[in-house]
Amino acid sequence: MDKSNYKVTDVAGKLAKGFLHNPLTSLLGVFLLLVGYIALEVTPREEDPQIEISGGAVMVVLPGATPKQIDNIIVKPLERRIKEIKGVEHIYGVSAKNVGIVNVMYYIGENRESSNLKLYDKVMQNMDQLPKGTMQPIVKPFDIDIDIPIVTVAFYPKDGSKISTVALYKKVKYIQNELNRIENVAKTTLKGEKKEQYNVQVDLKKLSGFHLSMGQIVNALKSLAVDVPDVKNRTKDGKLVLFGVKNAIESIRDVKSLIIAQYMGSPIYLRDVADVSIGENIQDFRSAEILYKKDGKFNTSKKQITLTLSKLKGTNAVVIADKIQEKLDEFKETLSKEGIDFKVTRNYGVRADEAVNELVFHLLISIVIIALLLVFVLGWKESLIVTFTVPAILAVTIFVAFMTGQTINRITLFAFLLSLGLLVDAAIIVIENIHRHLHSHESVDKDMDEILIEATDEIGAPTNIATLAIILTMVPMAFVGQMMGQFMKPIPQNVPVALFASLVVAYIFTPYLSRKLLKKPKMHHHEHHFQKDTLEQKKDEK
Amino acid sequence: MKLFEKIIYSILNSKFKKFLVLFITFLAFVGSVMMLPTKIVLAKMLPGKSANTYSVYIDTPTGSSIEQTHMVTQCVNKILKKEKEITDIETYLGLGSPLDYAGLVKGSGFKRSENVAEIVVNLTDKHTRDEKSFMMVHRLRPVIQKSCENLIKGTNIKMIEQPAGPPTLASIVVELYGENSFKMREIAGEIASILKNTKGLVDVDIMQDEIFKKFELKVDKEKVIRSGLSIEQVNQILYLAFEGMAVAVKNSENSPEQIPLFLVLSKKTKELSSFSKQALEDKLSSLKLMNKKGMMIPVNEIVSINRVDSSPTIMSKDLEKMVNITAETDLVSQVYPLLVARDKIKEHFSKNYIVTNTHLFNLQLKDRVSGEIFNLDWDGEMKVTMDTFRDLGGAFIAALILIFLLMVIYYKSFAISGIILLGSFLSIIGVIVGHWVMDMITVDTFFLTATSLIGFIALMGISSRNSLLLIDFTLSLMKKKMEKRRAIAVATATRAKPIFLTAAAIILASTLLAKDPIFGGLGIALIFGTIAAVAVSLIFVPVLMDNTKSI
Repeated sequence: MDKSNYKVTDVAGKLAKGFLHNPLTSLLGVFLLLVGYIALEVTPREEDPQIEISGGAVMVVLPGATPKQIDNIIVKPLERRIKEIKGVEHIYGVSAKNVGIVNVMYYIGENRESSNLKLYDKVMQNMDQLPKGTMQPIVKPFDIDIDIPIVTVAFYPKDGSKISTVALYKKVKYIQNELNRIENVAKTTLKGEKKEQYNVQVDLKKLSGFHLSMGQIVNALKSLAVDVPDVKNRTKDGKLVLFGVKNAIESIRDVKSLIIAQYMGSPIYLRDVADVSIGENIQDFRSAEILYKKDGKFNTSKKQITLTLSKLKGTNAVVIADKIQEKLDEFKETLSKEGIDFKVTRNYGVRADEAVNELVFHLLISIVIIALLLVFVLGWKESLIVTFTVPAILAVTIFVAFMTGQTINRITLFAFLLSLGLLVDAAIIVIENIHRHLHSHESVDKDMDEILIEATDEIGAPTNIATLAIILTMVPMAFVGQMMGQFMKPIPQNVPVALFASLVVAYIFTPYLSRKLLKKPKMHHHEHHFQKDTLEQKKDEK
Repeated sequence: MKLFEKIIYSILNSKFKKFLVLFITFLAFVGSVMMLPTKIVLAKMLPGKSANTYSVYIDTPTGSSIEQTHMVTQCVNKILKKEKEITDIETYLGLGSPLDYAGLVKGSGFKRSENVAEIVVNLTDKHTRDEKSFMMVHRLRPVIQKSCENLIKGTNIKMIEQPAGPPTLASIVVELYGENSFKMREIAGEIASILKNTKGLVDVDIMQDEIFKKFELKVDKEKVIRSGLSIEQVNQILYLAFEGMAVAVKNSENSPEQIPLFLVLSKKTKELSSFSKQALEDKLSSLKLMNKKGMMIPVNEIVSINRVDSSPTIMSKDLEKMVNITAETDLVSQVYPLLVARDKIKEHFSKNYIVTNTHLFNLQLKDRVSGEIFNLDWDGEMKVTMDTFRDLGGAFIAALILIFLLMVIYYKSFAISGIILLGSFLSIIGVIVGHWVMDMITVDTFFLTATSLIGFIALMGISSRNSLLLIDFTLSLMKKKMEKRRAIAVATATRAKPIFLTAAAIILASTLLAKDPIFGGLGIALIFGTIAAVAVSLIFVPVLMDNTKSI
């Protein structure tokens, strides 16, 4: 290198010069690709990017109040107080019968934790101003990651199975516990479940016939179902003896034969005035049904229980969904024996994986197409060099994305696709100039290294400016507000990184690989040549 | 290449040809921009996305029973069952379905009443299915609404699709603010009927409780005290008898929860014979309370029954009373039906109100008689669209300024920087024309979307680079004492190749983008915008360069 007499002026030339003979350059290349590959595998995958929405709801119950009362004494004062919080965009008040709800939406991008804290703080500070008779206010922050399930499973009785809704619920509850143990599974809920309870349905006519009131039945039932802790006593020699009263309700018979009152000297049992059964909670009107296809035909509607599972923020939806599926398959046989079948009715993990894989595939196709284009225009060795820079640039970008806590989602990959057309440019410009210089008769006397460095350095300044111009167009996009801005954020976050990486990679690896792959054509001073127009040269060769 | 050099040279040497180039460019620019107001190219924030699932939200009128709601869901399911591409259907009665992005903002998670139901429909995989999910929704919507909404009067059935981007309450939301809730109900009803009659709008709903008849029991305080009872006791027993209550619990070792003992009147004995005051009174007469002396007193003797209207829930936004009227769009952009509906609203209300324009599209209605003021704001996807386009527009202008400043620093000349800026701005011709071409090729409408704008912003950088390379080369040729016009022609001809090459790379990389529903706009903007940018920088920019004295 010392023999070169070309004076390097730009960063481009400096980088080219520094790495041209460095044995670490090839190692750096391998390292970049490896780091990129690891980042691609490790970075959590999702379908849609995470949108930071903060907000919450405050619920205040005042039994017996009309909507207008609630509006005046609960919702309006509460709204005024909440309006004092900084960062609140909108406040929505709902005054219904018995209950007032105030929904709070913060500006998008407000820090979630501190927003939640501020809301809770505000409500607690003003507890003393709540009217008498109100119950403790409930403050519930929104949490998209935890609230939106990534997997939902519907459990239903198999054809011909006579499993009761309560038995189904108990089994699903057990499975819920098991699945909740999976790493990074956050909130799990059940929908359409029917809980177990003793139903005491009193016959009004019989009640008046026996001259009884509902109050008497209440008292009798209350006295029956009492649990007390064990009583501790000591023996003479100081040993402990424990004894306790067992809950009087052992079975349905105990409830049925509860004596409510004496009538004309004979006891009246509960079973005399009421229908007592153990079964589902009849007062809960909520339920869920499922219709599914079997052999191309829909079954008749079946009761079902849906188990929903969500994940922790920033964790990999694909991996979690796979683990859930695995665990469910383990249960399949035992469930089947008990007459329960299930169906996964939502799987965002699979969707995210599909979306990501499809886009990665598109990315590969695009790279191949561009490589082919370059083969025709520049020649296959040059094409190979440019094509190598693409994965190297993407590797750097993915790694940076991973380090800054981003996830791989549709928008990130679109940012890659968008930048793909742009990031080969730097490499194309460098290789084109190298090509031109190699075939130029001015460089016949020059050393290969010198040509490479000079060619790279020459186009450095305009390429830097051009790339900087594109980066600058992307920067203002980062300041787009609202949900759309949040949604599109991966574009201004990743495209500039990719473009910057494209410059550095082009300056380091293009001359390095050119030195390995390209040969200086044997030319003489008098030979005619087309120094700038390789396209025509190609045609001539054919 | 020699030929191209000659062409450019001849253009530069003829005043008429130069004028022609400028004139044609100007025409193309005006023509393409005019495609927006003339609605040849339609704008929308984000287009529909084909998914493997959609939902149906059912709202029977407030005060309907779960049995009635169930009836409507059965009707809907009957229609859905005929569909070949549906794999399974989950119905959630009296509660919301598992939360998704759409449900998050539509309040699905808070649903818990007898008059609501949600149905989740799962379809076969979108890659193997011919019909896109939004086309299926479009086809089924009228069928379902026609046959099932009439089962119970006032039922509202909505077809909910998964949003392609950030979710909103609805495509079109009219927020009606005011103080007089009675009048607001009336105005809301009128607005809803206007929206219903606007082409392209479906699923119109007023987000308020319907007013229904109910009974109010008034306790006679004197009688209560005289008969040795308490009002609390009356309340409790009434609730216990008809709604039921868990009066005690049993702990169990084999159950995931405590088992409650639930006490209620049996279904058969608590049922009323009909919806009338008499029937209720009869029932209450057989329900007796025991006073402290052990005497049994029938409930009807201590209360009087009145038939009254229910009091609806009061909604407010930012401390002001508000009613939401929502509507969805059916395959069209929300911008155009909104403008139509807005004109109709202005016309309709001008009879009784003084209608004035406030911020953007918002209106204010002032009662001609009472002087009461009602504000009418547009929210929902419309507002998000406006905000997004405004923000992206701002980002675009910022990008223009930044590039200009960068060029001024690099060239130290305002004229040259201006040429580069103008050249890159003109790629908008390609962006708009591209959308027009795509709209003609594809079956459904191809909208100019937010992603198209992002593509356009990215294009600015790309086409400014073309001009930059051109000017750089021209300047270096002129340093070698080449005549100006010749230098421009030679520079254009030799730089044409790398410009074509990088353009081809961008176009090829973007073809796969163009297939995507959301990023299609971006792909098209890049493909056609790049073509326009190449044409502009190879013909239009040389003419400008010749005309300026800075080079």
